Amino acid sequence: MALKALDIYKLLPKKNCKECGFPTCLTFAMKLASGKADPDTCPYLDEATKHLLKGATRPPIRRVKIGVGERSFAIGEEIVLFRHDKSFVHPPGILFQVPDLQTAEEIRRVASRVKDEVFPRVGELLRVNGIAIRNDSGSPETFGKAVRVVEETAEFPEVLIAGSPASMEAALAECGNYRPLIHAATAENHGAMCALAKRSGAPLVVKARGIDALQELAATCEAAGVQDLVLDPAPETTCEFLQTATMIRRMALARTAPELGYPVYLDATVPGREEATLSLGILKYASVIVTTPREPASLLPALTLRQNIYTDPQKPIQMTPGIYRVNNPAPGDPLLLTVNFSLTYFTLLGYLESSRIPCFLLLVDTEGFSVLTAVASGKLNENLIRDSLQRFGVEAETGHRILVLPGYAAPLSGRVEEATGWKVLVGPRDAAEVPEFLEQSWKKAAPGGSPGPAPGP
Amino acid sequence: MAEPGEWTGTIGRVVLGATKGEGGTRSVQYCIGGSRDLPFLPDEAPCGRRPLIALEICDDPALWPAVVKEYIGALADDPAAWAREAERTFGADLVRLHLTSTHRRQAPDLDTVGKTVEAVLAATTLPLIIEGSGDPALDSEVFRRCGEAGAGERLLLGTAEADRYRSIAAAALAYGHAVIAQSPIDINLAKQMNILLREIGVPADRIVIDPYTGALGYGFEYSYSVMERIRYAALMGDTDLAMPVLSAAPDSLTVKEVRDAPPAERQERALSWEFHAAFPAAVAGADIVCVRHPLSVKRLRDACAALTPGGKGTPVQGGG
Repeated sequence: MALKALDIYKLLPKKNCKECGFPTCLTFAMKLASGKADPDTCPYLDEATKHLLKGATRPPIRRVKIGVGERSFAIGEEIVLFRHDKSFVHPPGILFQVPDLQTAEEIRRVASRVKDEVFPRVGELLRVNGIAIRNDSGSPETFGKAVRVVEETAEFPEVLIAGSPASMEAALAECGNYRPLIHAATAENHGAMCALAKRSGAPLVVKARGIDALQELAATCEAAGVQDLVLDPAPETTCEFLQTATMIRRMALARTAPELGYPVYLDATVPGREEATLSLGILKYASVIVTTPREPASLLPALTLRQNIYTDPQKPIQMTPGIYRVNNPAPGDPLLLTVNFSLTYFTLLGYLESSRIPCFLLLVDTEGFSVLTAVASGKLNENLIRDSLQRFGVEAETGHRILVLPGYAAPLSGRVEEATGWKVLVGPRDAAEVPEFLEQSWKKAAPGGSPGPAPGP
Repeated sequence: MAEPGEWTGTIGRVVLGATKGEGGTRSVQYCIGGSRDLPFLPDEAPCGRRPLIALEICDDPALWPAVVKEYIGALADDPAAWAREAERTFGADLVRLHLTSTHRRQAPDLDTVGKTVEAVLAATTLPLIIEGSGDPALDSEVFRRCGEAGAGERLLLGTAEADRYRSIAAAALAYGHAVIAQSPIDINLAKQMNILLREIGVPADRIVIDPYTGALGYGFEYSYSVMERIRYAALMGDTDLAMPVLSAAPDSLTVKEVRDAPPAERQERALSWEFHAAFPAAVAGADIVCVRHPLSVKRLRDACAALTPGGKGTPVQGGG
């Protein structure tokens, strides 16, 4: 279990000798409790106490880095069971699997996709993280060759999947310096696999079915001196993965089983129903997910789900407040007000762009709140709207004084007219209906229709 | 964090659909809810559980997703035939009829609305969800007609919201139906909505929570977390949140990524976009998941089957 600073303090020598680098034993205890100090730096602790403190003070789930360079990614360091409790930290790496029996050309084609395919979405670049090469041939030579083909294509993280230490050694000869993830140490081969992991400094997957077997094997590999472990509970069904991964996360966070304090691996190709398994792995605690090379049509939604789930729930993604021009508007074109919550903006923008109606969007600063929540909390009010109209010099842009409010802000319309002197139109609640609204209501409201000459102030 | 077996709450049950024995004409009755752990964990529900899948249809397809209209062709103009195919061909557990004809600017013909509901009830033997007008001025008359047309069938009527719930509640109470209580992605508002309904006499076993589901990539993560929070709060003993949950992400098939997809890829991307919000909603604990593309039904059913032990799982049927 996790220890509080005072519990740790009781175990320390209380000499305040400063040899650990901290001014007092109490400071050292507080640093240990928050995982920011190492018990080894105290020269006066006996081995038993050090062992106890290490179990109690290390992060609940170890950080493991896979790959090197720009495309490398870190996993682990998760601290909650539900994203709403704080946030999930490191999005799972998703890797395309290729069997080593495929031709060099086929392997190269998948590797090129991993290298080049990228989907820009709301300001981020979504992509697959790397390649998992599987030793279906059983031959070290074929496996080594397949890894070489991948290495020739690009530098991105790899998972090496082989049960035979001889095959693994051949693959590591090709890419051992680039921190590939070794899959996997099992009850049969763990001695040799641990030796390979230590020699190459690469992280190692421990594979065993069931929590108890996994815990035991992880402890064995730890004792053999491998620090960067990843756990593969080898589920036979998707349901089994959900249940086992939940149990591992719970026990790791509660620190009841330090040997389970490592990130989790999921081979989504194994239990069948790969799309569901991939989706579940993203939601429920997988940190490395291996799939077949999925076509873009179904890959993009999975990557979008990962982006959603790993967005920090306490920090809404915000846009900079100001005037946004859509479809090259001219003075006299409609002006719509909305909030600076990025999802609201991108949703509305999508509909407006496809409608091809030129218009101005005024994004006011609701600190990333949606329209509904900004109205409910009072953040979106007539004063903010009046100040925003002035601050961004809106009238000079639009040449008219007609403002379209979102449907959910309808209760504000009277007060906005009074505070700003602008005419207010209430638009629909649903962004999908905005283009139709502009076609119909705006034309009626704006003298001369739209687009047209600006009405006088 | 409670451990398995330490929860104090159980999700309440709601019965949908009435068979002949219960005074209706449905071929099946569903009892949803009853869970007593996090979704799909071993202790979740005593008799196994999988979410029900509702196919959404409408009586005026003007604003319905283009990918669905392309796929179903002439069915789009015939709600009864559409509902029949939902049961026979597409394999839905429930049909959710949206009375979109009432969204038109000109006043709708309310007699036609009642007839549509009757025709859909006659065309399918599945339990029905019926969505009213969304307009407080029309609600009372629309819900009265729906309620009357489906009297005795134990419909699920939608959708009650904080500023319009009286007429739907009245129709549910008068004709023996359940109601969908919607709130905008906020656990406290969900709770408040349930309390409002209870105060005017709707019993807890007639309420299904709809926390509102944003499309994947457009706020879905908020909905996902609210569903998880509702389940957690209910298991911790909050009876005002211990109702089954319905999830529908109505914008899934019209997001920019689907509209702008290359034509050859559009249908698959639409299906996958709908799947990656519907399936996670089931993982978060939704008891009813609504989809719009007919091909999503089987895809989602297969995926949900993978979540139940042994990969099978059947809806809890019968009993009230």
